[in-house]
Amino acid sequence: MRSGRRWLRCVAPAIMAFVVYIVYTGAARLYDITTGAIAAVAVGALMGTLVVADWRKSLSIRRLGWLALYTLKYFFVHEVRAHAEMIRKCLGPKMDISPSIVRVPIRSRTGFGVTMVSIAITNTPGTVVVDLDEEKGVLYVHWLFTKTLVDSEAYREVAEDFDRYAQRVFE
Amino acid sequence: MLRDVAFAVTLVVFIVLLAVATGLGGLGPLPPPRLRPLAVNVLNTTYNPYYAARNFTADAPEAVTAVVWDYRGLDTVFETAVFYGAIIGALALYREVSKRVEESRPRGLSTIVKVSTAVMVVAIAAVGVSTAMHGQLTPGGGFQAGSIIAVAPVVLLVVFSKSFLEKAGVRYAKMVALRSAALVGIGLAALAVAIAAGAMGCWGYVLQNQPKPDAPLGYPPRALDVPSGGSLMVFNVLEMLAVAAGFTVVFLVLSTSEKLAKEEVVGEEHGY
Repeated sequence: MRSGRRWLRCVAPAIMAFVVYIVYTGAARLYDITTGAIAAVAVGALMGTLVVADWRKSLSIRRLGWLALYTLKYFFVHEVRAHAEMIRKCLGPKMDISPSIVRVPIRSRTGFGVTMVSIAITNTPGTVVVDLDEEKGVLYVHWLFTKTLVDSEAYREVAEDFDRYAQRVFE
Repeated sequence: MLRDVAFAVTLVVFIVLLAVATGLGGLGPLPPPRLRPLAVNVLNTTYNPYYAARNFTADAPEAVTAVVWDYRGLDTVFETAVFYGAIIGALALYREVSKRVEESRPRGLSTIVKVSTAVMVVAIAAVGVSTAMHGQLTPGGGFQAGSIIAVAPVVLLVVFSKSFLEKAGVRYAKMVALRSAALVGIGLAALAVAIAAGAMGCWGYVLQNQPKPDAPLGYPPRALDVPSGGSLMVFNVLEMLAVAAGFTVVFLVLSTSEKLAKEEVVGEEHGY
């Protein structure tokens, strides 16, 4: 990365800070937009290098599009499906669980990619990431309704879709 | 089952007894349903462009901030000074170790926690600044904003490490300088109208916000398209800086490792 373009790393965090500022304020008068822009520039300048490693990725519209698509799919498909299954099991008369910790090798390697996959897995009911081996790229996942103990199959069941999106957004 | 019923009955009996006792005046006289004169006065003056030809108003829709920085502004300036002094006390206890740089390089928590924290810190800072900038309009203000912003260095301290923060420029000397500058700024903002009035040969007050009948100068009542609360906006921003930097520097010295702290007091166990 050329150091002359260092400030470009601050742009995406500044935009995020501005959006948070306006949403939190709950108003978009001239005053809110002006003070929000000043705050966003300051926050971006202070924290850009903490959040962004590669400014090209952070400002890519294509990656943002994938992130938006992923967000929709995550909340309206994955979450709904996982909740429905959990509700069915909870309401069912049998204690139909088979808990175990499985090894899930993932392909994402960037910090953001690994984080996105892990949070997605943990946030869906029934699976929780309990540990992470960064060097091998392996998540250890506690799975309430274990269907397989084979790594590759567990990957397909638990992480594959999240991982595919994470690679498109962050790799 | 029986236990649940017993618990519910006990709870109901307790609430009813408490209500009866309160209704009979067991907790002393209750506040009257109508507003007291002091509250009426504050509500009439805090933001009322039409009241008494604008002779006494703070020009801020948020009455609490107006009371804090205008009606009893001197009190708040002293509170800020007390907070400043309290932190000096904390720093004095750590005076030998506070400027030393930790040599160990802790790894911090996992990537997942680090990445999530980095993103959250941006949001925390934005929320903090908004809280200060809207202190004259909605609940919140400088102290609250500074406390919110101070959360950012605390989580960075825990999730990354102290040396990470110091490398990123959040250092002892810088934070002490920032909070001192903010306190000086609060003092200057409090004196600004009086000094300007003195220079122009008219009457002015310390901590004056809006113009008064005998003192024609004051802070601008509007910022762009919203009421600014005059000096309230200035005070809120400066207080935010003072509080955020003050908390940050305390967290920095408190996170000094025991090893380093002990090195400094070695040989002092034998007396005074």
